[in-house]
Amino acid sequence: MATTTSTGRTLTLRRVDSVAADATVRHIDQLDENALELFYAALEGARPLPATGTDLEPGTVVVATEYYRVEAA
Amino acid sequence: MTEYVIIGDGISGSSAAETLREEDPDSSITVITDEGEALYNRILIKEHAKGKLPEAPISIHDEGWYEERDIELSLNTHVTGVDTDEKVVRTHEGEDVGYDKLLIATGGTPTQLPVDDSDAEGIHHFWTFQDARKIRESAEAADDGVVVGAGLLGIDFAAVCGAQGVEGKYLMRGDRWWRYALSGQGAEIMHDGMREVGVEPVFDSGVDHFETDDDGRVVAAVDPNGERYECDFAGVAIGLTFNTEFLGDIDLEQDNGIVVDEYMQTNLEDVYAAGDITQFYDVLLGEQAQNGSWGSAKEQGRIAGVNMAADGEAEAFEWVSSYSITHFDFPFLSFGHPTLGDEYAERKYSDTEWRRIAFKDGKVVGGVLIGDLAPQSKLKQLMREQRDVADQKEVLLEETVDLDDLAPPQEQ
Ligand SMILES: Cc1cc2nc3c(=O)[nH]c(=O)nc-3n(C[C@H](O)[C@H](O)[C@H](O)COP(=O)(O)OP(=O)(O)OC[C@H]3O[C@@H](n4cnc5c(N)ncnc54)[C@H](O)[C@@H]3O)c2cc1C
Repeated sequence: MATTTSTGRTLTLRRVDSVAADATVRHIDQLDENALELFYAALEGARPLPATGTDLEPGTVVVATEYYRVEAA
Repeated sequence: MTEYVIIGDGISGSSAAETLREEDPDSSITVITDEGEALYNRILIKEHAKGKLPEAPISIHDEGWYEERDIELSLNTHVTGVDTDEKVVRTHEGEDVGYDKLLIATGGTPTQLPVDDSDAEGIHHFWTFQDARKIRESAEAADDGVVVGAGLLGIDFAAVCGAQGVEGKYLMRGDRWWRYALSGQGAEIMHDGMREVGVEPVFDSGVDHFETDDDGRVVAAVDPNGERYECDFAGVAIGLTFNTEFLGDIDLEQDNGIVVDEYMQTNLEDVYAAGDITQFYDVLLGEQAQNGSWGSAKEQGRIAGVNMAADGEAEAFEWVSSYSITHFDFPFLSFGHPTLGDEYAERKYSDTEWRRIAFKDGKVVGGVLIGDLAPQSKLKQLMREQRDVADQKEVLLEETVDLDDLAPPQEQ
């Protein structure tokens, strides 16, 4: 995570109602343990999502109880 | 040059192919699937059926993905036989494909209800993308739905009814949804979730037979009590039948699935299996187990690929699986083997929050979390560490789980 802290870049999650045909979409069960934990922490507002260290890229939509798009903060 | 053949292009077969190419760059790799499309995101097809997700993002690999990796992909090709003496795989077109090492990653097919008219038009089973397209079309045009099968796949049909505005009746055999893993308290939260999306759970029910019109379309389901439920859409999810028919009478050890060790090796030399189809040796549980989830299938495929390429026991499968339900306002997570415990601890925290932990021989082997998923990583960690904690249930049932509150392992 050194890169994250040194650049300080973070991502946010935006709730979306629809998904573009060219979007990358992942189901919550397809996130690895680390990404899952960071995703939930970001969802609960506990911590912003780091821009590196997970494979959650800006534009990716994650399907949980709602759809959330990962966006640059 | 080693020739690898993989039957099945689901996530387990595909992840094995990817691993094999990385581990053995000069080999020949053939993937054979009876589906008409390359790997897609099977766990997102329910979102397509619900009408929420377009088709394109569900695809994972296009044919170019295989070309780039020099992997031969045979679509629409059904394997009809395997000769492990000759080391060939036989296809429906009469072609023989030779192999040095074979991976069977053929998963399962939804089981049909053994009742009259269970294949009538309007009655659906849910496994493939093609199924999802038909379910979506049928649900969009339907008014009344019936769902059968009170488990993890049945609830997807209930969600389709809810999302597509179909008035649904969810006919369950016992007194609650997923009775093997949930007590009445936990199940009630799920029942409320169903009701909120417009699907009514009906208990001590099921389907005795379907009624059809003159065109062979389903018009009603009649339960064993004689109650009749009109429907123009029905979803059946009563279990999976593993795709092993093509194995005929070869000497492969099977036990409701293909028996493999933790290296994904079967009892036959150079024959491996991975994914839903396996009865694998679970090193955390200390016995054979089965798993029907994406993450586990993907990892089993990877492990099989590593060991096939190494021609040895290079890496063992060690995994805590997860399976989520995302259809309601509250999250749901089942992890590990929630039905295999010899002891359980559970607590309800609010109208939408409940937790159940399964222990076997004093260790956490699985559980179900509803509403608050925060403890998942700690409970999974305990599972991996195989710590003896069944005598400290109170700590694990605290609203916020703090592993530091557990007695240190050496003092136990
Ligand atoms: C509707 C639905 C929702 C799901 N939701 C979730 C979820 O939320 N979370 C989760 O973790 N898991 C979920 N799952 C389960 C998950 O999708 C599976 O566990 C996983 O996809 C299994 O992968 P696999 O590669 O073992 O088998 P499969 O994906 O079933 O692949 C096997 C392939 O082999 C092919 N095949 C079979 N026999 C032959 C033959 N003789 N010749 C050639 N090809 C053959 C089949 O057509 C198929 O393409 C869901 C499954 C479904 C159907």
